[in-house]
Amino acid sequence: MFSGQAGTVASITLRATMGRKRAFLFALPAVILILITALLKIAHPSAPDWPSAILGEFGFAVVLPLTALIIGTSVLGAEIDDGSVVHLLATPVRRSTVIISKFAVGAVLTMLFTAVPEVIAAVIATGGLTRLAEGLFVGALAGSVIYNAVFVMISVLTTRAIAVGLLYLLVWESLLGNFVSGARILSVEQYSLGIANSIASDSNLNAHLGVVTAVVMGAIVTAGTLILAVRRLSAFSLKGDTV
Amino acid sequence: MTTIELANVSRWYGNVVAINDITMTIGPGVTGLLGPNGAGKSTLLHLISGFLEPSRGTLTVAGAPSWRNPDLYRRLGLVPERPSVYGFLTGQEFVRATARLHQLRDPDRAADRAIGIVEMAEAQHRRISTYSKGMRQRIKVAAALVHDPELLLLDEPFNGMDPRQRLHMMDLLEALGDEGRTILFSSHILEEVERLSGTIQVIVAGRLAASGDFRAIRRLMTSRPHVFLLHTSDDRRIGSALIGSPAVTGVEMTGRGLQVKASDYGAFSRQIAGLTRDQGVQLRALLPEDESLESVFAYLVES
Amino acid sequence: MTAEHGALPASGGVIHDIGYRRYTGLRLGRPAIIRALVWHSLRSSVGIGRGAKAKIIPVIVFVVMCLPAVANAVAVAQGGHRLVPYDTYLFGLRVLVLIIFIAAQAPELVSRDLRSHVLPLYFCRPLRRLDYPLAKLTAFILACLALIEIPLLLLYLGTIAQASGPSAIWAQTRALIPGLLIGLLWAVLLAAIGLALASLSGRRAYATGSIAIYFFLTWILAGLLDTIGGGRGRGPLTEGAVPAAAGARLSGLVSPFTTVDGVRQWLGGTSRGPIPPPGGYGPLYGVMFLLLLAGALGLLAARYRKADLT
Repeated sequence: MFSGQAGTVASITLRATMGRKRAFLFALPAVILILITALLKIAHPSAPDWPSAILGEFGFAVVLPLTALIIGTSVLGAEIDDGSVVHLLATPVRRSTVIISKFAVGAVLTMLFTAVPEVIAAVIATGGLTRLAEGLFVGALAGSVIYNAVFVMISVLTTRAIAVGLLYLLVWESLLGNFVSGARILSVEQYSLGIANSIASDSNLNAHLGVVTAVVMGAIVTAGTLILAVRRLSAFSLKGDTV
Repeated sequence: MTTIELANVSRWYGNVVAINDITMTIGPGVTGLLGPNGAGKSTLLHLISGFLEPSRGTLTVAGAPSWRNPDLYRRLGLVPERPSVYGFLTGQEFVRATARLHQLRDPDRAADRAIGIVEMAEAQHRRISTYSKGMRQRIKVAAALVHDPELLLLDEPFNGMDPRQRLHMMDLLEALGDEGRTILFSSHILEEVERLSGTIQVIVAGRLAASGDFRAIRRLMTSRPHVFLLHTSDDRRIGSALIGSPAVTGVEMTGRGLQVKASDYGAFSRQIAGLTRDQGVQLRALLPEDESLESVFAYLVES
Repeated sequence: MTAEHGALPASGGVIHDIGYRRYTGLRLGRPAIIRALVWHSLRSSVGIGRGAKAKIIPVIVFVVMCLPAVANAVAVAQGGHRLVPYDTYLFGLRVLVLIIFIAAQAPELVSRDLRSHVLPLYFCRPLRRLDYPLAKLTAFILACLALIEIPLLLLYLGTIAQASGPSAIWAQTRALIPGLLIGLLWAVLLAAIGLALASLSGRRAYATGSIAIYFFLTWILAGLLDTIGGGRGRGPLTEGAVPAAAGARLSGLVSPFTTVDGVRQWLGGTSRGPIPPPGGYGPLYGVMFLLLLAGALGLLAARYRKADLT
């Protein structure tokens, strides 16, 4: 497909990630989001601001992180797990090229499975392309990028990337983020909500960070985790076989 | 000219020492890395190929360390042992992708050439997940050869190959070695190493037990007796004469001939002709019984 | 009969007697196999026998789960009251802890065997097809049970240590028993669902992902539907509150956690739960509980009854 080193890595990653039944797992949260939104729209609930609750809390606390987790840990994690990454690394390709290409594929795929469904659901819920819809779209785009950087880094650091990522999402973002305000400064969910809120200006989104903080911290986290991932990949070791 | 040089290289994991103070030089030609399972052959190959960092010592490939050195892969090809490879790609796509990652000027042609060398042209349009184990090995070798490397490392390359494929792979490696490339392959199957390489490196329990030409190694072990098989016209007579010689440690009458254990190979070979003549016995054949790598290996492992 | 070493008899080959003996002793049968499988699975679900890394998550979640019990016990010792109810404990904490535990450990029990294709080895022994998933389920239920009930027991012990007399102890015990029973329902349902989902994949990563997605997604959804449906959300209970709207009362059906809680409230539990009291919809929750359990068990049975398990 694409040529050049980055293109080759991206092409292989794309085919590896989208092949097989895995793709079904990516789409599941998004499909559920759209279905629930549609059903609620039909059911005419009394609460007037239910769209921001569903699309904000459900979308940004569940759909976005979980989809990013599955995608972000599989763009590199699967290859490291079964050892086929050696074929990639036994070439002169820069490790930074590998990380960036895989991260880019993951981020774009996540955007496809989160930002697009978010805006579709928002349109269904609010009847049009409102500021809420735009805000959610941009917030999900940003979240896709930041989450993927974090999860790609985690999959370089450990073979149990999904479990560790889950610990982060459930313990750090969900549990602590709701009770400890200090934890919010290091929560990707808050960055995404902050960015979404700057456009949507909807207090039901429960965004605790201002847009400047969110963007700056998001950029720092993205860059920092990717740099860490590149350094660790440069020191990638194969365990000698015990047999 | 690409040489691999190791100087006092050790690698440990916590309390377990996988590679213990190995010093060796590997030059052009085919070298076999021999050792029982768990001896550290894979670990050594991972160290040399830059996928493991030495805990101690210096390891250079073509003058530079292999660790954290992706540019080295322009001159090095690696065929790893694990059978996992991108199953969803066809053979051709896989080799072509590798060629592109090497930034070759004409990746498609290089890929076709490499696939031709390993004789996988017929199957190249099928997905790798449909390949047999031997076919996967060959396509991995094609990917390792696509950039025409001076150095080729293969970890248990004959695993899962049928005799015909194995023969073909041996011919291929021999030809590559004759071209002046440095080929290092590992195996725990003695026949493979014996047939293919002149130089061997024997690793046992993480240590380098022996290196060089295996016949020469054999001869160095004067502490063990050499074993010969004699076919003569009168075994018993020669046998009783031989036992009187200080160079002989044992004589046995077996159904296949007279088995003689000689502690001093040189002295024995000098004496045998004269002895048979003096005894009036006709010597029909004198065969070394344990020249093969098998006995070398067995002696090393037992020691 | 040994042949002379090195000599080949004219007829061809010979079999050497090197002392191999058949085992003629007692062979333990199917019950012993099942017992061993349960014990071994129980150990691996808490990470015993697998090295230090495998114990990290079980230990962390267990400690986190016990923290409220310990904190409350300390508070009681200093003269306070038991604030944490036995039958709901700290609901949100329980949910998150169990999601992590089940998502991380259920694949350890079943996905590993699938990935390494050892099931044919199991089934060439006198083990019936359904014994295997039953044994695994029993072990995992026990593990989840320990995770749920031990904190309750800690809470109980800490409270009765400061109790004023036998009647106070008896009151605590009476409150504890339903809590333990509800905990049993939790363990049974969640373990079954977790194992069923995990058995769908040999790759631990996908198994963990599917379990996490299912539990977490439905949990948040239930809470949101409750709020949207006009329920009282999770704020403080006000006196004389109006019964919640139908939408809110039904919202709990989407998530196994809230389903169990709905059963609890239907059976007479009075502590605050994450969903409003189901009222007339109580039986629905009971039906949903049974449906989920039957579905999970059915999935497990179907998965392992398949003829081709390699």
